[in-house]
Amino acid sequence: MIPLENYLVLSGILFSLGVYGVLSRRNAVLVLMSVELMLNAVSINFIAFSAYLDVTQITGVIFAIFVVAVAAAEIGLALAIVLRIFRNRSSINIDEAAELKW
Amino acid sequence: MITEILWWFFAIAIVGTAAGVVFSRSVVHAAIFLILSLAGVGGLYIFLTVEFVALVQFLIYGGAVTVLILLALMMTRLDATGAPDKLTGPQAPFGALVGITLLLTLVGVSLATAWPGDVDDLPTNITIEQIGDVMFTSYGAPFIIASALLLVAFIGAIVFAKQEDEV
Repeated sequence: MIPLENYLVLSGILFSLGVYGVLSRRNAVLVLMSVELMLNAVSINFIAFSAYLDVTQITGVIFAIFVVAVAAAEIGLALAIVLRIFRNRSSINIDEAAELKW
Repeated sequence: MITEILWWFFAIAIVGTAAGVVFSRSVVHAAIFLILSLAGVGGLYIFLTVEFVALVQFLIYGGAVTVLILLALMMTRLDATGAPDKLTGPQAPFGALVGITLLLTLVGVSLATAWPGDVDDLPTNITIEQIGDVMFTSYGAPFIIASALLLVAFIGAIVFAKQEDEV
């Protein structure tokens, strides 16, 4: 069978890719997509620990479901903010949107 | 044996498509890679015997979130004839440095730690009944708070995205 370490290494790779995307992308929507990758890496970790080490309490599975709910709220609100930035500045380059007031 | 082969297929597909999201030069290609990557993670949940979370993953991530992202891409597109904007900023080498450091740390820690219990065994099947039982007994209050959070977030999203002259 697949040992627990395989899942942990996979989620580590996914999380690091997400961190690289968040730090290096300039398009706000691409940054949000990288955040989704990171959230998925965390969910894999939660569920893997839950399935291997905690099969009676299944706290990790419950947590992963809450992660999905919060991610849905986050992406909806964040995309609305991105739309508002685009309407004000005609650009979603987050390097340019540096001031808090205009 | 067939499970291992399928698992490695899914793992390589997830990492490859996630790399496509992060390194792709086209925004729409990145979004399509994201759909594939999220679907692959949903397939991985089936290996972990949590079919309910896999279904939630397919429905919410594969359906709702990616459609929302594609819609936002469509609405924030500049003129199609102009030169494509450079998607990666000058800070990319530093991002790569942070990512590689984090990767080495996470992989090293997860391989070096001696996990308690039988981590090589087949994971025990987690049924939907079990998830519902725990969700609505031990985690009832967080469930209600999460629903209130979703309501507030989506009202906020509507208020933000509304046209100014319609207010």
